[in-house]
Amino acid sequence: MTSLRLRKTLAAAGISLAALFAGHGFAAAQEAVFVIATNEVGAPTYNPIKANNLNIGTTLIFDRLVSQDADLSFHPWLAESWEEAPDGMSWVFHLKKGVKFHNGEPFNAETIAKWLELFKASENAYMTEAIAKVEVVDEHTVKFVMSRPEPNLLYNFSSSYLSVVEPKSYQALGDNYGVTEVYGTGPFKMESFTVGQETVLVRNEDYAWASPLAKNRGPAKIAKLTLREIAEDSTAFLELKSGGVDLLLGVPTDFLGQVKAETNLEVLTLPGQDVAYMPINVTKEPFTDIKVREAAAKAINQKEILESVYGGVGEVANTFLISALPESKVDPKYQISYDPERSKALLDEAGWKVGADGVREKDGKPLKVSLWTQSDSSFRRLTEVVQAELKAVGIDSEITTFDSSAIRDQYKSGNQQLAVRSYNWDNADIIDWFFGGDRLGYPNVSMFNDPKAEELRKVAMTGSKNMAERVKNFTAYHEYVLSQFPMAPIYQPVTSIAYNKDRLVLPAEIHSPSVGATVIMDMEVKE
Amino acid sequence: MTAPSPVSSALPGGLGVLRAAFGRPSGAIAGGWLVLIVLGAIFAPLLTPYAYDAQVLKEAFQPPSLAHPLGTDEFGRDLLTRMLYGARTSLSVSSVSILISVAAGMTLGAAAGYFGGFFDRAVTAVADLTWSFPEILIALILVAIIGPGVSGTMAAIAVAYLAQFARLTRAQIMTLKAETYVEAARSLGAGHAHILFRHLIPNALAPVLVSAMLATGDAIILEATLGFFGLGAQPPTPSWGSMMSSGSALLFKAPWIIVFPGLAVATTVIAINLFGDALIAALDIRDKLGSKP
Repeated sequence: MTSLRLRKTLAAAGISLAALFAGHGFAAAQEAVFVIATNEVGAPTYNPIKANNLNIGTTLIFDRLVSQDADLSFHPWLAESWEEAPDGMSWVFHLKKGVKFHNGEPFNAETIAKWLELFKASENAYMTEAIAKVEVVDEHTVKFVMSRPEPNLLYNFSSSYLSVVEPKSYQALGDNYGVTEVYGTGPFKMESFTVGQETVLVRNEDYAWASPLAKNRGPAKIAKLTLREIAEDSTAFLELKSGGVDLLLGVPTDFLGQVKAETNLEVLTLPGQDVAYMPINVTKEPFTDIKVREAAAKAINQKEILESVYGGVGEVANTFLISALPESKVDPKYQISYDPERSKALLDEAGWKVGADGVREKDGKPLKVSLWTQSDSSFRRLTEVVQAELKAVGIDSEITTFDSSAIRDQYKSGNQQLAVRSYNWDNADIIDWFFGGDRLGYPNVSMFNDPKAEELRKVAMTGSKNMAERVKNFTAYHEYVLSQFPMAPIYQPVTSIAYNKDRLVLPAEIHSPSVGATVIMDMEVKE
Repeated sequence: MTAPSPVSSALPGGLGVLRAAFGRPSGAIAGGWLVLIVLGAIFAPLLTPYAYDAQVLKEAFQPPSLAHPLGTDEFGRDLLTRMLYGARTSLSVSSVSILISVAAGMTLGAAAGYFGGFFDRAVTAVADLTWSFPEILIALILVAIIGPGVSGTMAAIAVAYLAQFARLTRAQIMTLKAETYVEAARSLGAGHAHILFRHLIPNALAPVLVSAMLATGDAIILEATLGFFGLGAQPPTPSWGSMMSSGSALLFKAPWIIVFPGLAVATTVIAINLFGDALIAALDIRDKLGSKP
């Protein structure tokens, strides 16, 4: 202790020799800088109730009731255990004792009741919509009376949108909650937050209630964690290479070779939760004709894209869901894969004949459609390959690039024909989100509103008594949606994380679907 | 007929000026380069055996070689081909938009300077207002409204530089309209239109044209910037800016994708500026140009 203080004094006095020998580790004892993934850049708030884009910091500031392992199984966290009634009409959650929010407020059953009341105002309210009533049984026991069985309840309680907020400060701060101040029970407290730039987090010294999936339940090992937002991948890579940052939470495949070439850098690969796909607007000519939709969908060469655009890293997508989900195991006849001959035959059948310059025509009108994309370089590149593949079967598509933050509003106009986009989610209810008839424009970019799909959707969302039934119902809904070709699946990336192994020690096994609080609890800075 | 033709006095033989500009060494080199670029853009299809939009994914990221003198891009397209076609986009977009800007700006500025009064104040106020924003900001706002693409970019650049030409023309007209030959024309009973188009505008033309030439250089950069943001010409149409943008993500993997378009933009803009300087010297109009050419 004394020697450390002495060294600090010496260093402060300007005698840098001591610091020089101690190296980088001394200069930043248990302090680390991470760069968040580019798709999370610009998240405007850490308010899990109001936001529809949250970054990784949310998982560090807040805890959730339930944690999820890499194999997607559910484990306790703020809830120590839970029981579901045999008919699925009620759940009892037993809460961990001694948990405190950053502002000193206690966490108990009362908190849950108030928080879920606030969550009803969220855009994601469907996640708790099946809970008819929250009953406080005792200080640490809460009972949910259900309006219908909800097999997805544990998943929902493990989602970052259901991060447990502190209700008193939430109400007092209003829209400032999550921006200027934020209070959760998580392993880190927010010290400062500058939208689009960086978030400084400091360790919560009282923390002793981490998920059992982490080895370290006590306070985190890292004392100060800075999350930087760098939109440009090459800049982020240079920062990592030059030692300015310690870890990148998302490395594009283009950079993997260079990261691996550096002796002090290491890559960690996790299964991805993204699917890149091409929505097809079913309400716009010529895509009102299902034959043209199928033709466009089957013109996409998923294998070629995987090899040439993504260097073979990741997987092709043949359904709308990531392949880790059981609902993605549809009957092979519903899978959508590259079949140019079928595409051409379908276009011929639909009356679109090959014209002079290779572009198809019908009644003198060329088969010309719009293809929307967003301005990130990876999207633009993928879109240009898609454009060339559509051209190969005779569909002439014109690319329009929108700023990534503005494109959602553009989709709401409903004027799109084709688009290239991606989503990040690991539950089958994403089909409901992107193809539900009440969300036309955005998120339902395909403007898909089909009576039979709506029926199957209702059964899948609200008519399942248990998980097995839910999987069956969602698979049926998924299959029907695929059969209508409102989109073409393209690609499933993996998540690659790069870090400086001279600076950071990562846990040997990753017990989480993605890098978040569970993994960061076990991370250590080398000194 | 009317007073001695003012046209010839303002532009002492167009060709003569060009010859004088080319006579200076910097003017000759810059002018030569510009002629080369323009010829390359015009005759692009004859100069290269490749199509600018033909993807050969297997041949992506090839460094410069005999088959591909500047290498290939991330889709296996020949970079030289895309550079030549990109010159078409960059040059045509920038010059057409500056042309629109000059035409509209001169009309507004001349009318404001000549008639004065409320119309003058309104035009000056609007011009000053847009003048106070950087061109890129105005262009970005306009592209957001009109939508991305070549026509959106043209309109955005045209409006972004409008104030400059309006102000320059207005200032010229203000000084010129007090000249004796204008008074002479008026006393002979000439109408407003006659005085404006026969006497004032032709005499105000030279500085505006030179400043238009210099603005074209800026417009190339602005077009490249919009292209870099993905808001300019949409793929597969090549433009130098969008080529640099996709190259920036691949800077370490395939540096030639960003280096060559970058060089093209830089050399072309420098050449335009040098040639513009030579023109200014040949016309001897340095004092007539505003502080922000």
